[in-house]
Amino acid sequence: MSIAIVDARGWQNTLDLKTGEKIDAAGPVIKLVKDVLQRHPYPGDTDPGSNRWVSDTAFDLIDRYAPRFVFLTYAAQYFSGRYTPMSKETRARMISDVFLEAEHFISRSGFAAIAVGTGDMTPLLGFIDVTRLDGLAVCTHWSTRYAGLYGPSPDDMKILEEHPHIEKIVSQEEVVRLFGGTPEQTLRLPEYLMLACEGYAFKTISDAMRMPVMIPSLNFNVPLHAPSRTVEAITGIRQILEEDLSEKNVALIAIEGVGLDEFLWPHRPCRNSTEWYYYEPGEAQYLTIVSGRHRFLDYPTGSGYKYFNGAEGAARSYPFSGHFKSIPEGAFASTFPGKSIAVGNKSMFMHMVTGADLSVECFARNLYNQGTMAVIHRADKL
Amino acid sequence: MYTVSGGTVKERFPHRWSSCGSYVLESMPFYHVYPGSQCLAIGTAGCNFRCRYCSNAYIAKEDPEIQQDRMYRLTPRELVGMARKFNCRSIVFNVNEPAVSLPSLLEVAEEAKAAAIPMGCLTNGYTTVESTELLASIFSFFNISLKGISDDFNRAYIGIESSGPVLRTIRRLAQDRHVEVTTPIIQGANDNAIDAIADFLVEIDPEIPWHVLRLLPEDEMKDVEYPNIQAIDAALESARKKLPYIYFHNFISSEWVNTLCPDCGYAVIERFSLGCGGDQLKRLLCKDSRCPDCGREIKLLREQACLGNSKRVSQ
Repeated sequence: MSIAIVDARGWQNTLDLKTGEKIDAAGPVIKLVKDVLQRHPYPGDTDPGSNRWVSDTAFDLIDRYAPRFVFLTYAAQYFSGRYTPMSKETRARMISDVFLEAEHFISRSGFAAIAVGTGDMTPLLGFIDVTRLDGLAVCTHWSTRYAGLYGPSPDDMKILEEHPHIEKIVSQEEVVRLFGGTPEQTLRLPEYLMLACEGYAFKTISDAMRMPVMIPSLNFNVPLHAPSRTVEAITGIRQILEEDLSEKNVALIAIEGVGLDEFLWPHRPCRNSTEWYYYEPGEAQYLTIVSGRHRFLDYPTGSGYKYFNGAEGAARSYPFSGHFKSIPEGAFASTFPGKSIAVGNKSMFMHMVTGADLSVECFARNLYNQGTMAVIHRADKL
Repeated sequence: MYTVSGGTVKERFPHRWSSCGSYVLESMPFYHVYPGSQCLAIGTAGCNFRCRYCSNAYIAKEDPEIQQDRMYRLTPRELVGMARKFNCRSIVFNVNEPAVSLPSLLEVAEEAKAAAIPMGCLTNGYTTVESTELLASIFSFFNISLKGISDDFNRAYIGIESSGPVLRTIRRLAQDRHVEVTTPIIQGANDNAIDAIADFLVEIDPEIPWHVLRLLPEDEMKDVEYPNIQAIDAALESARKKLPYIYFHNFISSEWVNTLCPDCGYAVIERFSLGCGGDQLKRLLCKDSRCPDCGREIKLLREQACLGNSKRVSQ
């Protein structure tokens, strides 16, 4: 059983991750994790101390658990950059700070770093309003490049095909041809996937209430810092992780919202795409990195699936894991025999995509700071 | 919001919506209306309060004019059509105060009624007698925010002179509409009002569902400490003896989100709390509105009451 421990500041609860039910559980790993959560209250997604929280929490776990593999995500600059207007100088300072933070982690922990930037950001030029179609367009506000389209009328298709800021409309068949996928995954795909031009975001009926000022660029390539290594695509990162871990302790560091233009460590471009599709920062990108194969179809919310609205009245599995309904298979850390941890401030999916023995992440919703959550997948390695 | 033009009060930005999305009703929160169903949640911009801890200041406090480029532009008919596309059973106005957008909401209500889609809202209840009647004509279920009782609190934190109009609105709407009440707790500011609020609700209807929220202070109070969960839980002990449907939430994995049968204590509706508008139905064990253990009727808004937009059914 995977155990979740939530910390809502001054109050903790222990749950079965799958059912969400409160459980009575005790043991050295549970105590270790509870104590770590208590010592590290989350300051908030856009707080200046947010990335430091990632390092400090990781240090605490490393001191007590002695992992050989660490997966870190630094995301404060992604949230701040996305929603806060700032000058170029302020942004440059913010980006510099995250690299200083990562350097601080590496120098104190002694881990060898493999670092990937999840992609550049670009100013929002405008919205593509698809709320008044005869059919239904769907995406979450975290997705800007992609929106799913259901039941379009001929008039809808004409409008969309002629829209100056829609780059391409891809049929379900074309998506299936590119990614394969199970019959169940195919059923969940929208009839069409719409692709926005750079700088534009789809405006659909969703929970979009905050106005972004920067959105992900068309990051067909992302920067990868992997000294003495050449990796062509993000699907190749897993292999170098395996190789490096046979010799030393390794930290895989994801630096959110930073791409080839702003990555401050030595790096090479790494393909973040296949044909017309590229990964926006998010769960599918992480899954692809840690599993070594394309995982677009595994995580549904970003790109226009509507099935996740769920059946009315139905209890669901993994209620504290975002839109995941099962633990994805094939995550690197889940098969790594050594100890592993993951810490991140991008919220509520690290424990699902990394497969690490122990993970600690912030629990925030629409930038509202709810506290933190730890997940223990393996308690038998201490 | 409104402006005066040629001696007439007019809505400044009709048919403009700051938010429009499909959610489960529990997340609004409504705990005693269509459990587990989807609603189309909508909002506009502006508010008649100036709460120092406002969670949605970027919508409620910002000038609506400068929000216009990000607003949804949907006619009432399109809005109702959207609710149908998403298989929503209801339309709920949340985010800001519905009283600032009454003309648009009256039009939406007309379309929604024709489509047999009931409407509900979150409101601060600070309305005139006439506006309250307009709200009652639009919405069949309400969650009214009773933020505090004392004048001192209301002046210091909300920017109003008195909670009198709010209490009047609750009294009025509870007569023939489904009403739930929400109180966000700020430790040291309004936690001393818990018993007084409970007594007020008991006087109106002991079966009013009362959502006591652990406030996550935002806006001017962003740096204030989060309220202590154990302390608020302890402060609710006395109220729980008077009101059977008290919920304490707005934090992850709250243990106080289930509906218990007032007679036998059986958990007739179980929920998850993800905090901050993320509550979900876990299990509905009283589909016929009766406790499966002892048979007692459980207060739930039923389909026909909503669709008829008429009398509340307290079962």
